[in-house]
Amino acid sequence: MRRTAAVLGAAGLMAGTVGCGSLTSSATEVGGVRMTDPRPVRDGGTLTVALKADPDKLDPTLAQTLVGRTVFAGMCEKLYDTDRTGEVVPQLAAALPKTSDGGRTVTIRVRHGLTFSDGTRLDAAAVARSLERHRTLPGSARATELGPLVKAEATGKYTVRIRLKEPYVPLTGVLADRAGMVMSPTALERYGKNFTNHPSCVGPFKYVERVAGDRIVLAKDPRYYDADTVHLDRVVYKTITDGNVRLANLRSGDVQVGDQMGPVEVRSSLTESQLQLFNSPSLGYQGLGFNTGNVHGTGQKPGKLHTVLAREPRVREAFALALDRRLINKVVFQGMYEPACGPVSPESAIAPGTADCPERDLPRAKRLLKEAGVGLPVRIELKVSTSPEDSRLGQVIQAMAREAGFDVRLRPMEYATLLEETDAGQYDAYVSGWSGRLDPDGNIASFVGTAGAMNTYGISDPDIDRLIAEGRTTQDPAARARVYGQLTDHIRDQHALIYLYRQKNYVVARQDVAGVRVYGDGLVRVKDAGYAR
Amino acid sequence: MSRYLLTRLRQSVITLFLVSVVVFAGIRALPGDPALALAGEERSPEALAAVREAYGLNDNIVIQYGRFVGHALTGDLGTSARTGLPVLDSIRNALPVTLELAALSLLLAVVLGIGAGVLAAVRRGKATEWLANAIALLGLSVPTFWLGIVLVLAFAIAVPVFAASGYVPFGTDPVDNLRRMVLPAVVLGSGLAAVVMRQTRGAMLDNLSADYVRTARAKGLSRRQVIGGHALRNSLVTVVTVLGLQLGHLISGAVVTEQIFVLPGFGKLTIDAVFTRDYTMLQGVVLCTSAAYILINLAVDVLYSVIDPRIRLGGAR
Repeated sequence: MRRTAAVLGAAGLMAGTVGCGSLTSSATEVGGVRMTDPRPVRDGGTLTVALKADPDKLDPTLAQTLVGRTVFAGMCEKLYDTDRTGEVVPQLAAALPKTSDGGRTVTIRVRHGLTFSDGTRLDAAAVARSLERHRTLPGSARATELGPLVKAEATGKYTVRIRLKEPYVPLTGVLADRAGMVMSPTALERYGKNFTNHPSCVGPFKYVERVAGDRIVLAKDPRYYDADTVHLDRVVYKTITDGNVRLANLRSGDVQVGDQMGPVEVRSSLTESQLQLFNSPSLGYQGLGFNTGNVHGTGQKPGKLHTVLAREPRVREAFALALDRRLINKVVFQGMYEPACGPVSPESAIAPGTADCPERDLPRAKRLLKEAGVGLPVRIELKVSTSPEDSRLGQVIQAMAREAGFDVRLRPMEYATLLEETDAGQYDAYVSGWSGRLDPDGNIASFVGTAGAMNTYGISDPDIDRLIAEGRTTQDPAARARVYGQLTDHIRDQHALIYLYRQKNYVVARQDVAGVRVYGDGLVRVKDAGYAR
Repeated sequence: MSRYLLTRLRQSVITLFLVSVVVFAGIRALPGDPALALAGEERSPEALAAVREAYGLNDNIVIQYGRFVGHALTGDLGTSARTGLPVLDSIRNALPVTLELAALSLLLAVVLGIGAGVLAAVRRGKATEWLANAIALLGLSVPTFWLGIVLVLAFAIAVPVFAASGYVPFGTDPVDNLRRMVLPAVVLGSGLAAVVMRQTRGAMLDNLSADYVRTARAKGLSRRQVIGGHALRNSLVTVVTVLGLQLGHLISGAVVTEQIFVLPGFGKLTIDAVFTRDYTMLQGVVLCTSAAYILINLAVDVLYSVIDPRIRLGGAR
């Protein structure tokens, strides 16, 4: 009994030490960007990656989740990929695409001599078939981003021609994501919609098995064109939703890589000598949305809404001016994210310049409310998800807005309900976010374009719509960046979507692992990973 | 006995039918459109419509229920709306994990709980009773999640005797299986052990002061015979009843325990299904859990008559 008490006592003491010690250590500074660990690695071994959520369907046409994209990064290569600088580079394609016919025809050359994990050869016909499936399969999550695509066809053994309704510059960025993943035509023929349980692509690892809620196992694919540079024998993706549990498993060595670690876990892990941290800026954003015209539901044409928030932009502007982005980042996220005031990350290859975020300005906020002639306090219900981060964020927003003359009532709700109510327009304001896309269009068009598929805010502005169209058709990168700069200004003038902060991708790995890559798209790449020599 | 069994089986089938109705209606009544949750981040109106069509969400609820029951009767619980994996396969994978976890927890609870309960009753008023009571109170009060994390820190990280997570089937590697299952079983079983200890102690105290025990002592039976053969045997009826009632604790406790130790059992499957609105998976899992619950209750009822033959079975005369 005495021995048991001693062990329990030690455990309690250790729990306290681990929790508190890390916060007072000088080793807790998180700075700069660290995307990989270049140490040489040895061949062999299994790498276990802990994911924050269980991936959905392992079918590039139907898949929706960020964690699913991480699994795809291990087994399904794309026509294009992003490099560490956010530039699009060829992957299964032999070169960047060529456009003709005023941008309405895109020609892609496919690499020679590549093989799917089931032994089928990769050719232009396979690429065209996958693109057509992405475009036409009922329920396809790729249909919107491939909307301008009219037809994809093989014009030669290794040449694909894509015909578009109108010029669509974001296409290359779109093909650097799941829409650019090519599926084995043999597997598609054999399994159809059940491809999700037998995925076969070109990639460093091939699918072995999946146990629901537990693990997805991939094994090194000897048919992969670059198999000599792949070091690991197997990669296992495990779902561990709780950040504390993910960290405990990293400490115990049961997993080697922890994906999407939160600020608290990152701080705690920094003093552990056996752990290392990777981080990269993200392409997404997090913010706050107001309902300014969503009366018929998302995706429908906005209408007139008779709330103070909807009819009076000065009230929305006053709310925006009441918020201090830097303080939010410091208080809620321990200063580990970045303040944001636009839809496009400065890390994006087409970034519209680094305009300063508006500072908190309480006198001006109060003046605007007075000019608008609204009764004080202005009562607003803010819907937040039940996650601890969103709850903390909601409380800080509530406190800041109160000083300007707002009475914010927080309404925490379960995520599916939040989605339903905000999509139906049953809200004043809600905490809103997006994981981000390589091309700026993916962060803008669906959200703020009139009747955009995810325009829950009911935004309808002819200038925004015109600029979205211009951004999609402008070829010159510098000119495009200018268009997105103007778009950012117009979106900001609406004050319907207030951008607050940009998350950073934090990945914690054990020290004996090297070669893991963490880029701006937030995926954990394991192709070059292995155990350090 | 067989007539009693048949009656109870008939009642169980009716209960299962009612449960299926409640489960089906309950899941449909949950707030939050399942199609929205399934269509995920990139939910275009077309994708939403396709999801509703693919999973029959546009149909009348009675038609949806009929389809569900029809398929379930043929052993087809459908495919997960989110992952596309067959629900039955997922249940088949999860079942051994939860069963083993429940069995180990139950074993722990019975051995520790009954042992400590008997000891506390026999040594009434002494330090042993005080200690057993204090430990039982601790077992009831400590939150499962906290206990789990502390045990992982102590026995998987500081002194790495056990693993922090995962499951390996007993048949594949018995040692590794136990290395992974002991901590979750301790976490899940500790609360139940405390309840069993308190009930055993109470029942033993009652029985030890009963007339038949005094008679047994007067007849010159040994201390072991009096405590084990008489008092404990009679106390077990209470304990078995409590264990039956506490099975709900095991099932609900497994939800949290499986999350902490990343065990791919029923609890984890249920939680994942709830949060992702994977209603096909959820209704399959809840239905199977309910069926298991009904069967366990049936087994507990039958066990009464084995432990105490004086208990007459209704309808068996």
